Amino acid sequence: MGDIESENQDIGNKIKGLAKNLLKEKEVDVIIGYTKGTVPLSASPVFITREEDVDKLLWNNLCYINLANYLAPRIPTLYDDEGQKLKVGIVAKGCVGRALIHLAVEKQIEIENIKMIGISCNGIINRKRIEKEIGEREILEMSILGNNIIVKGRDFEETFPFDEYMNELCKVCKVKSPPNVDGSCVGECLENPVIENDFNDISDFESKTSEEKWAYIKDTLSSCTRCYACREVCPMCYCNLCFVDQNKPIWFGKTTDFTDIFAFHFNRSMHLAGRCVSCGACSSVCPMGIDLNLITRKLEKIVKVRYNFTSGLDKETVPPMMSFSLDDNQEFMLEED
Amino acid sequence: MSGEKMEIMILMKDQIPKLYNELSGEYNFFAPVKEKGYIAYRKISNPEEIELNYFNSKIPPKEILFPQMEVLFEFETDGKNVTEIKDRKDLDEKNILFGIRPCDAHSFDLLEKFFVFGDFQDEIFLKKRKNSLIIGIGCNSPKSTCFCTSLEGHPFQKDDTDVFLVDLGEKYLVEGVSDKGNNLLQQLSWLSKASKADIKKAQELAKKAEDLITTKLDLTNTSEILDSNFANEIWKEVSENCLGCGSCTFLCPTCTCFDVLDENAQYENRGRRIRIWDTCQFCLYTLHTSGHNPRDSNIERCRNRILHKFSYYPLNYDLIGCVGCGRCIQVCPVNNDLRTIINKINSIKINEEENVSA
Repeated sequence: MGDIESENQDIGNKIKGLAKNLLKEKEVDVIIGYTKGTVPLSASPVFITREEDVDKLLWNNLCYINLANYLAPRIPTLYDDEGQKLKVGIVAKGCVGRALIHLAVEKQIEIENIKMIGISCNGIINRKRIEKEIGEREILEMSILGNNIIVKGRDFEETFPFDEYMNELCKVCKVKSPPNVDGSCVGECLENPVIENDFNDISDFESKTSEEKWAYIKDTLSSCTRCYACREVCPMCYCNLCFVDQNKPIWFGKTTDFTDIFAFHFNRSMHLAGRCVSCGACSSVCPMGIDLNLITRKLEKIVKVRYNFTSGLDKETVPPMMSFSLDDNQEFMLEED
Repeated sequence: MSGEKMEIMILMKDQIPKLYNELSGEYNFFAPVKEKGYIAYRKISNPEEIELNYFNSKIPPKEILFPQMEVLFEFETDGKNVTEIKDRKDLDEKNILFGIRPCDAHSFDLLEKFFVFGDFQDEIFLKKRKNSLIIGIGCNSPKSTCFCTSLEGHPFQKDDTDVFLVDLGEKYLVEGVSDKGNNLLQQLSWLSKASKADIKKAQELAKKAEDLITTKLDLTNTSEILDSNFANEIWKEVSENCLGCGSCTFLCPTCTCFDVLDENAQYENRGRRIRIWDTCQFCLYTLHTSGHNPRDSNIERCRNRILHKFSYYPLNYDLIGCVGCGRCIQVCPVNNDLRTIINKINSIKINEEENVSA
């Protein structure tokens, strides 16, 4: 493997080759992938149905959307004119694969009908961090040169080392390619992955005292506009009617009072315990730059430590939140953590 | 403008604290501040907070007049019935909105069109609007996603402001635009007069700013095309990758939808009626009690956002309901670019004409 720049080229070419083949052999009707965005620091999810459009597909380090999200039943594009489900090919970095497998475990999709175009993800850029550091200057162009992120504007050019400006999640990621389940993956796939989890990305947060954590959470969540981009981008948030939208009766306040914002985010996070696949899309899309996956990662760690479970690695293991055993570790009922 | 034409004045940047100190007694002083890395308009209590170097705010300044959450009134009960309604007392307070960009200043006019439309006058919005004085500021360097000039706007358009500033580096050129603005300037007798060179420099900056706007959208026929293409296939394409979040509408200076609800603190015998921003992108929007929703999927929801701004606004108010600030373009998580959508819509007409001539 060379540098990030050549890796991206390589991954992009592999995606195009596999996608072309899947469409040609009629193994799939539509490919969900990424294409170039119209603004810097973006990549846009795209649906490709014709072989000649395959060249629109690309891989860059801004493919932060978890494409598994598009397999939720609400997307009309994935049905033909008679309402029949289309066969779908999907460009899958590790966390997309994990999401698809976990959705299959939760019986939301049939993984046999999906072809993952497996790639070995080389990390997603923390675009919010770069945006904030650039501040009140407009970014007109972003490119990868070697192992650096080059950001250009009207009268500036800045270089950020890729390794450092990756999402914290990506720095510790151990599932860069999708696990291969039931032969659903072509390209770069993981066979029977056994992984050593690394939760270093949240060690700063964990080292805070309870008071400091609370202060941080209060401060960061208070800018939430409740646009629900975090929820809508999350492949695991597929409820037909989210608890926060239920209005007969209203369970949760809809205002931007801190208690209501807090209730939404913490309930959502709790629903993701043992389900979150650490794709970080929620943090990447938040218009206010809130680092939402900090909380879900903490929950992922708790589930890992207590139940030795990591979501989306295989189809057989029953997730802890979907099972009950009398031997379950329950000392946390009395413990302050 | 009535009476004599006011002279054009100069405000030195280091005089901003003086300006604040002189006005903050009479007015709530709202100004751009940097908050968690982004620009926001906030009521300030110290002129040091004002950020003078900025493109525009993340959330548009509409939130000053039409906040995301607003208490309409509070009430008391005897446990069963409402015994007292307490109306807002703060609506007569005077506000200065300092440092508003021309696009956002224009959005206040569009918002007003909505809040006076039909039989209902929204007293809360209108009172605040009437009591607000807008100090606008020209955009010396518009963003690549800005397109105000496609909407009869301009980075130096002062029409929708009361006082207009131009950033000349160390100082601002200050011009009274409305009577309200001119009266304010008369109060500020310490402002010095602008020189001819200052005025010339401001004109040059205006020209330079206009040239920096590279996004040009042709909106001449868009409303007409939309009118006859409600069921066009294009809507499927346009909504394909939309997630259905509300970020485009919550960051839009002209979106006005809101939801009204009562919150009852039952055991304290009191409650409040509030309104909060709503958006056509959410699944609850236009959901009927029967369970039917005429905007059941992303297709109808995305279409509604576009139609509202580029068809219904022109039909109802003879104005386009977009100011070209480009916030929705920058914020969309899936880069569903409004410019691309408009160009696709415009191409419907072109294709049809091609067919006719063929």
